[in-house]
Amino acid sequence: MAVTKVVMPKLSEAMETGKIIRWIKKEGDRIQGGDILAEVETDKADVEMEAFGAGVLRKILVPAGEHAPVGALIGVIAEPGEDIASVLSSAPAPSAAPAAADPAAPAVAQPAAAGKMADRPPTVPPQPTSEGHAARQPSPATGPAAPAQHAPAAATAPAAIESRRAERAAAPVAAPSGGRVKASPLAKKIAAQSGVDLKVIHGSGPGGRIIRRDVEAAATAQPVTAPAPVTAGGPEFEDVPLSQMRAIIAKRMPLSKAPVPHFYVTSEVDMDRAWVLREELNALEGQPKLSPNDLVIRACALALMRHPGVNASFQGESIRVHRRAHIGIAVALDEGLITPVLRDGHAKSLAQIAVEARDLAERARARKLRANEMSGATFSISNLGMFDVAAFSAIINPPEGAILAVGSIRRVPVVDGDAVTVGRRMALTISCDHRVMDGAMAARFMQEVKRLLEEPLRLLV
Amino acid sequence: MATHKADVAIVGTGPGGYVAAIRCAQLGLSVIAVEDDRPGGVCLNWGCIPTKSLLRNAEVVHLVERAADFGITVGEVRADYAAAVKRSRGVADRMAKGVEFLFRKNKVTLLAGRGVLKTPTTVEVTGPAGVDTIEARAVILATGSEPKSLPGIAIDEERVLSSNGAVRQERRPASLVVIGAGAVGVEFADVYRAYGTEVTILEALPRLVPVEDEEVSAFLARIFGRRGITVKTGVKVNGVSPGGAGVVVETDAGKFEAEQVLMAVGRGARVKDVGLQAIGVAMERGFVRVSTKMETSVKGVYAVGDMARPPLLAHKAMAEGVVAAETIAGRDPRPIDYGNVPSCTYCRPQIASIGLSEARARENGRDVTIGKFPFTANGKAVALGETDGFVKVVADKATGEILGVHIVGPEATEMIHEFAVGRTLEATLEEIIHTIHAHPTLSEASLEATLAALGQAIHI
Repeated sequence: MAVTKVVMPKLSEAMETGKIIRWIKKEGDRIQGGDILAEVETDKADVEMEAFGAGVLRKILVPAGEHAPVGALIGVIAEPGEDIASVLSSAPAPSAAPAAADPAAPAVAQPAAAGKMADRPPTVPPQPTSEGHAARQPSPATGPAAPAQHAPAAATAPAAIESRRAERAAAPVAAPSGGRVKASPLAKKIAAQSGVDLKVIHGSGPGGRIIRRDVEAAATAQPVTAPAPVTAGGPEFEDVPLSQMRAIIAKRMPLSKAPVPHFYVTSEVDMDRAWVLREELNALEGQPKLSPNDLVIRACALALMRHPGVNASFQGESIRVHRRAHIGIAVALDEGLITPVLRDGHAKSLAQIAVEARDLAERARARKLRANEMSGATFSISNLGMFDVAAFSAIINPPEGAILAVGSIRRVPVVDGDAVTVGRRMALTISCDHRVMDGAMAARFMQEVKRLLEEPLRLLV
Repeated sequence: MATHKADVAIVGTGPGGYVAAIRCAQLGLSVIAVEDDRPGGVCLNWGCIPTKSLLRNAEVVHLVERAADFGITVGEVRADYAAAVKRSRGVADRMAKGVEFLFRKNKVTLLAGRGVLKTPTTVEVTGPAGVDTIEARAVILATGSEPKSLPGIAIDEERVLSSNGAVRQERRPASLVVIGAGAVGVEFADVYRAYGTEVTILEALPRLVPVEDEEVSAFLARIFGRRGITVKTGVKVNGVSPGGAGVVVETDAGKFEAEQVLMAVGRGARVKDVGLQAIGVAMERGFVRVSTKMETSVKGVYAVGDMARPPLLAHKAMAEGVVAAETIAGRDPRPIDYGNVPSCTYCRPQIASIGLSEARARENGRDVTIGKFPFTANGKAVALGETDGFVKVVADKATGEILGVHIVGPEATEMIHEFAVGRTLEATLEEIIHTIHAHPTLSEASLEATLAALGQAIHI
């Protein structure tokens, strides 16, 4: 029998520490591979952490409510008679893990674990599987914790001065690799034939199971492992009870506003025709209901294809012009906001966008997004229309080059010939990175968005 | 005149209505169900259930007739058709009582009378005791369907029967013309033929059971022919008039005389006098238009079962009843996958299918592989002495997706569910062949047909 270490999984690319919200299993409980052990709060989402070994949960090292750095031992699964003393001796003292004054503290407080981790490349642990993606960041695809979890687990096994059990501890880790993607047999076959990576697909079947239509949708919009927004420095926690999300927003926004020279261009869009079109489309049986924002997403995605200069990132020595429009959609949450990414918006119909955007927003609110669904946007949209907002401007989310702020569709007096009538108008304000583009380029892009929305049949073709 | 209040009012207690009522009650809603006949609707009282009883009789008659094949000598065989109908009434009665029991158990109030929608939240019930009113937060309409006829041909249930009349009448005609070769037509043809009636089936389309796979139709035509049932396909009926032995059916292929005619040309949604028009419920091709949550165009008014949309099948109605009930209770039920509703016909040999026919799959541009396995090569079928039929699997060549399955033969209607579950789970041919099937069973024919689709059949 093997001793299985339970370590804090790395659930997103920016994740450095995670907080145990609660343990679902308690010490003494019998565990099977795939059982949900605990819920973990990361900077972006609450995720369930699955067990990958079988046995009894012998020890919980990091109690609920406390933090632990990625890769740190937080529990031990073993058979009842098994000696776990040597494993425990490598564990961090539980009191060292929680929020300390300095973000570096958790690592410093555990010289053994920290020292071992420093021996390796920091964020990309080797993955001892036969699948050939050893160098890639583990992407949480199923019950989000699963594939992501065994990578760091495997990584700690050789690191933690294990003697006779080292090789056996690794065994249960390697076994389930690749088998955890919950997908129907047909979905797996279509994925294999069309070269779609199941790990980056969200399943719409029962319990998040990936079914045929998910793969077919993904096959038409090949997912990419987009460059992750790189952030520097640890979060400033102090003793202030910041939520993880608040912390990351607080950390990232100044990194945008200060170094990125913003400029703003505002347009007013006549939404009368778009409004009518949307109502007609929404009256169609069997069609997903469109929100005004879906129209804006589609318009932006199309306009970005025509004005790729706006769909661009500043790279220091160069400007990266994106060929695909991955649209970040800001979703307001009680404790902050989150920007899930609708990939390949330019290649998707309004109906697809409507379905996908709603799904992303719902899961964002439920904090059930995958890490890969929160990164890789090339352009973002923030819509405060539902709050009766005339107009506002947004802060760019680097490395994106621009963000569009969408106001309410308001009924306002408009001049029609010599008469004043009532029309629907919407203010759009784009914030642009002046290092990437200039005012005229942004204005042309805005003209295109305006034209698409004012002649909304163009959104259908 | 009393006014009742409930969370949900349900008009009609056939399979769609009674299942919706029970599910609503399970979810904590108060329910009043309105019925002008016995609970259970056409299915339990006049359709599925009593006809299965009659078909079982036909099967027993057939089995006794070939007792000699099993080395059993029987004396003179007398099959009393009136007794078969009486037995079927007993079966129907028992099932209807079962629904009444389930209503009591789940505290569903049953209100006798005819329900008409007055407003989206009001149902007026005209019953034996007068007119009552139900005020409800939501209304589920489940009024079902009724037999259709051809233009100019009146169903009198004397000479020209519908299934309603045929299932009730205790006398058996010496000769019968069945117009329409769908499930109802071939099932009654089977029953009457077993009891000795001269049966002629007329079908306007080119084959028997036209919604089934072509090979199934051809096979059934062969078996029916062997049993002395006359089958005329591609025949257009122009009229029915009294004469000869009872009626004369005029067609573009000549005249057919018989004692009675059974109209089995299909069923139409029962949507008149329900109050749909008054409150503006939208229709679609003769059916009530519904959303994937079974809601009509009027908020809070739901429709399920035969009145809502095809296919007109009790099991589809039940599934819709659950969806409507769960929606009203604030749940988010999975919409029904109408492409995965099994279709079953209980003549002998039985027919069951799910998904696409071979021809339809090809029309859809699928590159298909076909696997077929006859029951003559299945040990259990041979032991039973029931070797007529086959299992046919239609699959996508590239992925092994199970596009359709067509079974004709013994217990076909039980066997189809292996593939129904498989398709729900998006299993492919591989998952079926890696599932060990017990030996000896009829289901091994399903395994072998699946193997055959991959070119790997063992027993043929």
